[in-house]
Amino acid sequence: MSHQRYPSMDPVKEPHSVSLKVLRLSRPSLVAQHTLTAPSELQSTTGAAQDDLVPASLAYRSTAGTNPDPFLLTPILNLPPSFGSAYVGETFSCTLCANQDIPPEPPATAQTPTKVQSQKKSIRDVKIEAEMKTPGSASVQKLLLGPHGDDGTPAATQETGTAADAAGAGGVDLEPGQTLQKIVNFDLKEEGNHVLAVTVSYYEATETSGRTRTFRKLYQFVCKGSLIVRTKVGPLPYNTATTRKVPKPAEDGESKQLQQKRRWIMEAQLENCSEDTMQLERVVLNLETGLRYRDANWIVSESPRPVLHPGEVEQVCFVVEEDGKGSAVVEDSDGRIVFGVLGIGWRTEMGNRGFLSTGKLGG
Amino acid sequence: MVHIADMFGWLAARPRSSTKGPLDADEAPPLKSPVIAQVAARGLSPQVRPGGSRSNSPFRSSSQFRSDSPFRAGSPFRSSSPFPRSPNRASTPLGIVPVTERDFSHLLRPEIFHQLSPLSIPPPFRNTTKQPTPETPIAELLAHGQFRAAAIASVQALTSSPVSATIAAAHPPVDPSDYARVFSLFYIRLACLCLIDSMPLAAQEAKALEDLNQAYYLDPITGAHLMPWELRLLAIRLQTIGFGDPRRAIMSYYDMAREAHIQIAKAAKAHENSESELWKRRLVELGIKVGGALIEMEDLAGAAAHMATLRDQAQDGKLATAKALLWLHLGDVDSASRCVRDGKGGPVGEKIVLALVDMANGHFEDGLKKWTELKAELEENGIQDEMVGVNLAVCLLYLGRMQEGRQILEGLVDNGQSSRTLLFNLSTMYELCTDRAKALKARLADRVSNLEPTSHGWEKTNADFKL
Repeated sequence: MSHQRYPSMDPVKEPHSVSLKVLRLSRPSLVAQHTLTAPSELQSTTGAAQDDLVPASLAYRSTAGTNPDPFLLTPILNLPPSFGSAYVGETFSCTLCANQDIPPEPPATAQTPTKVQSQKKSIRDVKIEAEMKTPGSASVQKLLLGPHGDDGTPAATQETGTAADAAGAGGVDLEPGQTLQKIVNFDLKEEGNHVLAVTVSYYEATETSGRTRTFRKLYQFVCKGSLIVRTKVGPLPYNTATTRKVPKPAEDGESKQLQQKRRWIMEAQLENCSEDTMQLERVVLNLETGLRYRDANWIVSESPRPVLHPGEVEQVCFVVEEDGKGSAVVEDSDGRIVFGVLGIGWRTEMGNRGFLSTGKLGG
Repeated sequence: MVHIADMFGWLAARPRSSTKGPLDADEAPPLKSPVIAQVAARGLSPQVRPGGSRSNSPFRSSSQFRSDSPFRAGSPFRSSSPFPRSPNRASTPLGIVPVTERDFSHLLRPEIFHQLSPLSIPPPFRNTTKQPTPETPIAELLAHGQFRAAAIASVQALTSSPVSATIAAAHPPVDPSDYARVFSLFYIRLACLCLIDSMPLAAQEAKALEDLNQAYYLDPITGAHLMPWELRLLAIRLQTIGFGDPRRAIMSYYDMAREAHIQIAKAAKAHENSESELWKRRLVELGIKVGGALIEMEDLAGAAAHMATLRDQAQDGKLATAKALLWLHLGDVDSASRCVRDGKGGPVGEKIVLALVDMANGHFEDGLKKWTELKAELEENGIQDEMVGVNLAVCLLYLGRMQEGRQILEGLVDNGQSSRTLLFNLSTMYELCTDRAKALKARLADRVSNLEPTSHGWEKTNADFKL
């Protein structure tokens, strides 16, 4: 994530009393350890039944036996070391820290302190605002600032009025060294350049006067595609022929109507075009009225969830049929049947979530 | 002048790759390159089956696993000869040289070893009385966690290049035919490089050992390997990195597993109980190492399939926790929870995994609650667990309560903890707290340098403090 400070809107040339620091909050990662066996001559001579491990080769010390040594992964968590890659379908999380960061008083031996420097500044009413500029839209979206609930709560809001005001309202006074920490979440839906714009405003008061100051920083990052989805729909013979052979999920006994149902097979190839290994969590169809489907994938075959390494493809398939409840199947102007959308949910390292849905699928 | 490295150029050549391993069923192809399979998957007619698993690794599909994992003591390899790779172990002329007359001076050449720069060490660690003197014996250096000094001292002994008579007395030059001491010093060198975060250097230096299975390293009479077990294990991993061939480690571990099986059988026959126990333990460790090697190859599905074949012999919850961590790493929180359910992970292991699951699900409030409870519970028993403290602090950061997290981490440092993760996370928090994080990090380095040197390690690098 590259960043730049906006050309200051602030007429004052002095350094700011508040600093802004950001960290992308991808999931923390499990720390790996490579355990080493102590050199034979240094092994405890007590006739220990265990090959001693070099304690310093462990990721951390534990007397409670919480370290699963000699296994590679340990439960201790590292904060994200870098920005990493951002992918469509993920939620972008970032923490914003506004710090009271007045430079320490210059030593007494320095030049005669000016009046301003010698006065004690207090920092009041610190506020953070954040906006996201996405590649597809001309305007920016105001972001709701957390701390707020877990993943379930709305991640971002497009409301420009009340929500943002509520979040930004009531600035905070900061003592030296104190921090105002906020968290933003934003669902990434487009490929391309995104710009996170963060504005910090505060009131800088001295004993005799005060002024409101503002600065803005821009953080740019590129969001990449994570999954390529190719779909294909083909007709299946009417259900009549197989009625007796294949047990159907249908429960209605109106056999005549049942026998008239049209059926299709919908196949989709999901290609992992990211650089991370992903595990597919669920693949579901959201069908238009008049249709229902049967899943024919790993849940049915009781297989483990598919794991897609970078560049790998998983093929999924569904049997779609008219639900026979009388409502007409939706067709577009060309007479093609509109089926609905395919939703794909996946997880990556340490449970990081992704979700995509396709456009309306027809055939 | 012909450089001596050129004369010995053949020594640096890539060792012969193993081509046959114990997992190689007669009909199964050897380990297939993932790249080939990826290309196939990208092709116009992708080789994918609905709900099926890809097969770019022999470990990918659980059905390809024999139910009798070779890493279980009771399941010998299907091999008719006790030494299926016997061409290595006899028949070469080198194998006839008696062990005591073998010359290992090719491992003592100074050009094998790299200079270690003290510049990567923060100043507080360099300028202190806690730095050992050059005469300190290696054993003492290791006991006090002075790994950089031990790495240097071991090279002085190996290359007979001590700078003074007193140092020569402390680290006497090694006799090229004293293979036990040569290997011991070589292991100390490589291990210490790993411990001071210089693994890339260790990977280069380990290349000098060449093919670890060559007859020169074997006793011609007993067939026993002359290297200590720990050196072989470490050298395999380092050569894997040095030669950029990740599958190499897995094949070598399987070779060693076969050896362990033979030794267990031998010990059982001779009723040598402790010997048999030793090899059984080594077998278990090898099984876990294969899992780690697969993770490092990023074949996480293969690693999970492999770990599922390991039997929990200790029943202490460690293996269950390890499996759960692997699932978490892969992102499968449901499977992770399943691994430790019903007491399988032990009382503490289950709580740790469930707290991590909360965090993986983004439920940081729930995670915080679990870490806080676990911390209190352990402290009641007088245990301060560094991991629980660090994870609690990480959780707080994700909840917008970094200040509290920072205090917890600083408290851990005050209590003498100094793991790399702790220092990294605290330094990251410092970076978020101020534009002048460098001063805070330097102060942290100063505090850590005041800790007593112990076998847990003492000296840190600039990278540990993100300096």
